Amino acid sequence: MTGPDTGGPPPDAAPGLAGGPHGDLPEAAVRRLESSAFSSGLTVPDFAACLDLGLEPVALVQGFCVMQWGWYGSGSGYMRGMSPFAAASQNAGAYSETYQCPHGFVGADHRMWGQNLEQSWVEAAWAQGYGSSYGRMVEEAEQHGAHGIIGVVDRVSNVADTGTTEFHFLGTAVTVKGGPPPAGGVPWSTFLAGQRLTKSIEAGFMPVAVVASMASVRVWAYCMTEYLMEGNYNWAPPRPVPVDQVSRAHMAVRQLARKHVRQMLAGDELHGAMIDIAHRELSQGDEVIDCTLRGNRMRRFKDYDEVALPRPTVRLA
Amino acid sequence: MSDPSPTGADPAPPAPPAPIQGATDLPKDAAHRLEELEHGLFTSDLSVNEFLLVKEAGFHPLGFVMGSSIYHIGIQTRKWGQSQELSKLTEAMYTARELAMNRMEEEAEELGADGVVGVRLDVNYYEWGNDSAEFIAFGTSVKAEDGTSYRNALGKPFTSDLSGQDFWTLMQTGHVPQGLVMGTCVFHIAHRKLTQALGSMGQNTELPNFTQALYEARELAMTRMQDEAGQLNASGIVGVRLEEKSHQWGSHTIEFLALGTAVTKGSGEVTLPKPTTIISLDN
Amino acid sequence: MSAIPAPDLRAEMLRGAQSMAAAAPPSHERGITSDLSVDEALLIHAAGWEPLDLVCGVGVVSVPAGVWNWGRGMIDSASDSHDASVDIAAQQLRAECGKVKGHGVVGVRVEVSVHPHHVDVELVGTAVRPIHRKDPRGDDAALAMPFVSDLSARDFTLLLRAGWMPVGLAFGASFVYAPRRTAGTAMRQSTQNVELTNYTQAMYAARESAMEKMQRSALNVGGEGVVEVKVTEGPMRFARHAIGFTAWGTAVKLVAEEHQFVRPDMVLPLDDAVVQFEAESLRGTGSKGRRHR
Repeated sequence: MTGPDTGGPPPDAAPGLAGGPHGDLPEAAVRRLESSAFSSGLTVPDFAACLDLGLEPVALVQGFCVMQWGWYGSGSGYMRGMSPFAAASQNAGAYSETYQCPHGFVGADHRMWGQNLEQSWVEAAWAQGYGSSYGRMVEEAEQHGAHGIIGVVDRVSNVADTGTTEFHFLGTAVTVKGGPPPAGGVPWSTFLAGQRLTKSIEAGFMPVAVVASMASVRVWAYCMTEYLMEGNYNWAPPRPVPVDQVSRAHMAVRQLARKHVRQMLAGDELHGAMIDIAHRELSQGDEVIDCTLRGNRMRRFKDYDEVALPRPTVRLA
Repeated sequence: MSDPSPTGADPAPPAPPAPIQGATDLPKDAAHRLEELEHGLFTSDLSVNEFLLVKEAGFHPLGFVMGSSIYHIGIQTRKWGQSQELSKLTEAMYTARELAMNRMEEEAEELGADGVVGVRLDVNYYEWGNDSAEFIAFGTSVKAEDGTSYRNALGKPFTSDLSGQDFWTLMQTGHVPQGLVMGTCVFHIAHRKLTQALGSMGQNTELPNFTQALYEARELAMTRMQDEAGQLNASGIVGVRLEEKSHQWGSHTIEFLALGTAVTKGSGEVTLPKPTTIISLDN
Repeated sequence: MSAIPAPDLRAEMLRGAQSMAAAAPPSHERGITSDLSVDEALLIHAAGWEPLDLVCGVGVVSVPAGVWNWGRGMIDSASDSHDASVDIAAQQLRAECGKVKGHGVVGVRVEVSVHPHHVDVELVGTAVRPIHRKDPRGDDAALAMPFVSDLSARDFTLLLRAGWMPVGLAFGASFVYAPRRTAGTAMRQSTQNVELTNYTQAMYAARESAMEKMQRSALNVGGEGVVEVKVTEGPMRFARHAIGFTAWGTAVKLVAEEHQFVRPDMVLPLDDAVVQFEAESLRGTGSKGRRHR
């Protein structure tokens, strides 16, 4: 495990984003981390709580990555009319439901079949971006010999033009005074800081890592969905009709995100889960639904102490 | 429930400036809903905290009550250079709110309530209603569990804009709410003459026009509020709030609204519990 | 806050660090996911319940064409769509809760969006179940019909302690067209201070209708009362002459013999976080200036 005296990469190593334990960080990061003064992203109350726990902040660390959402070729499913079987090799095991039109032949324009399709290539790209960015933050922390990273803030946003997304992580690297380093030297991390972290530790939960996963489902609408979403049906008395295809896509995208996160938990618990939905309605009833689920992976290190119910009070101000 | 009147004509009742009276002012749906409440279901917009505190104070929520009125505020001519109360507008704002509050009280009476807590008075503007606004009053009606009547001097359920917490705290001090009292005054502030404005340009000076006008207007609003409290034989008003709004009239016309809850001292002996002092360590 | 002696924080942190020093043993636990904060999770535990999993339900129901064209009276199709959508979402939510053997869902976040051709409802919450004690409603009843409530975990705990339990979501919605005046009437009324009885009736009726539906849905799930009623109203974004009213709350029922009083203590906080009395607080839009957490 690298200690704080190791310094940066050898002077003639190429700066920038080559792979490897040091070479992946920009030069400026290495210079900043070599300085002996620490900076931290903690507010004053959070800083006080941190010291209470015996944690010492050592550095403000960050990780960054910009990904491009590309056209991945003929198997990408961005082409209209993709058959449910064509992308099987790229999309094996992904969620897919097809819908058949109940009418007979109506016309060339009529959408005879539709599909809800999990876009695993989009999910993989997101995971790569999020993972790289997180990994770089962890590397910076490792460089400082940190045991953990608290108060993590993650931000995913689109940069200017379409098709690029930036992932940014920021956190405060800390060491546990008198404590052992984590297994493999990889610092643990958590979104929590301050009182919330203190209470988690008191309750017997140790942060393991920040986990997140994104699920993306594309709805290729079939004729019924198209008509219902466009308000174009007039063959029956007007009444509300559940739009099954879209409802199921929404349910699936959330369940998938949850399933992916659960796979990353390896039996630990996820606390403080946050769900974000990005929903784009395209034309003719088609839509793309993206669901991101993020949270703190926590491991129980002791059984729950009995906690008494707090006394209710009324404030006089 | 669709409007029963034939296309284009107004329904029969005349347009009164006097407050509405009579029991059948409420729409059909209201009567039906209130009946359901009388059969034992209660509804309240109290939060869980407030609900528990209302129970602590010895009351039980009966039902969410509301009243509304869409009122058209007529034009009132005013002199450019004179500060004056626009009494027609004052009357309109007052009447509109009274209509809304009365309907809310009627609903509370239907339920046999002792009073209404957490009253909120809102004004909504809709794009299609020029010069008209909707005045709504909401609250939760409550009734004492032990059967004592807490109705006010006029025999009506009390109204108050106190939250559940404030209601409990007030009852702890041995005081009982009597009613939400309000005083309103719509005042036009004179525009200054050009020579006056030029004369005082660049100086630190009091603007006597404005001072006088705003002082008078506020006093009128507060006096009227106190008069209402007097009618209820109250010993005081708590939680007074003074709101100033221009609504849709432009910046030289302001409505001053003074609102508070009139209270009287209850009959029982009261020992106030000593509060504990704490320092909160949370953010 | 609690009567238990404060734990040694540094010792606890060291224990935590030690648990991370060795590689984790393989675990066959399912790995619960929960959107409760640690405070909420602790309160739930203190009340004898535990969180099980994050669950959600979504309903998308179409609105027939032409519904938003300006007409008269109530827009029944729109409220039917809204109700159907909430029903579907609640059903899905309860099904997910049932899959993890939960007795109910707390902290449900409700998002309703009305579009020109469809109404979408999304419900997300945490499924919970009692750990050691029995569910006051009976375990079989609870598993057959888990409760759904938008109460926070904290409010859920407070209610339980007072002897009450949530039984379900109460909701009601109604949509109405803004009434129209004829030109003649409009002219006549332009200088008068007068109540617009048409309008009043229409709005009042629509509001009452939404509240009534909410009450009925509370009765349908066996509630004795509804708390935390929230009413929203406003014109549709895409059709400003159509106004929607919704009323939401949690249906509750007394499960103990009688209501248990909480007997709160009065406290006087000494920190500056408390808003001092300011004359400014007498004016303004009516908020009391109290800081909310």
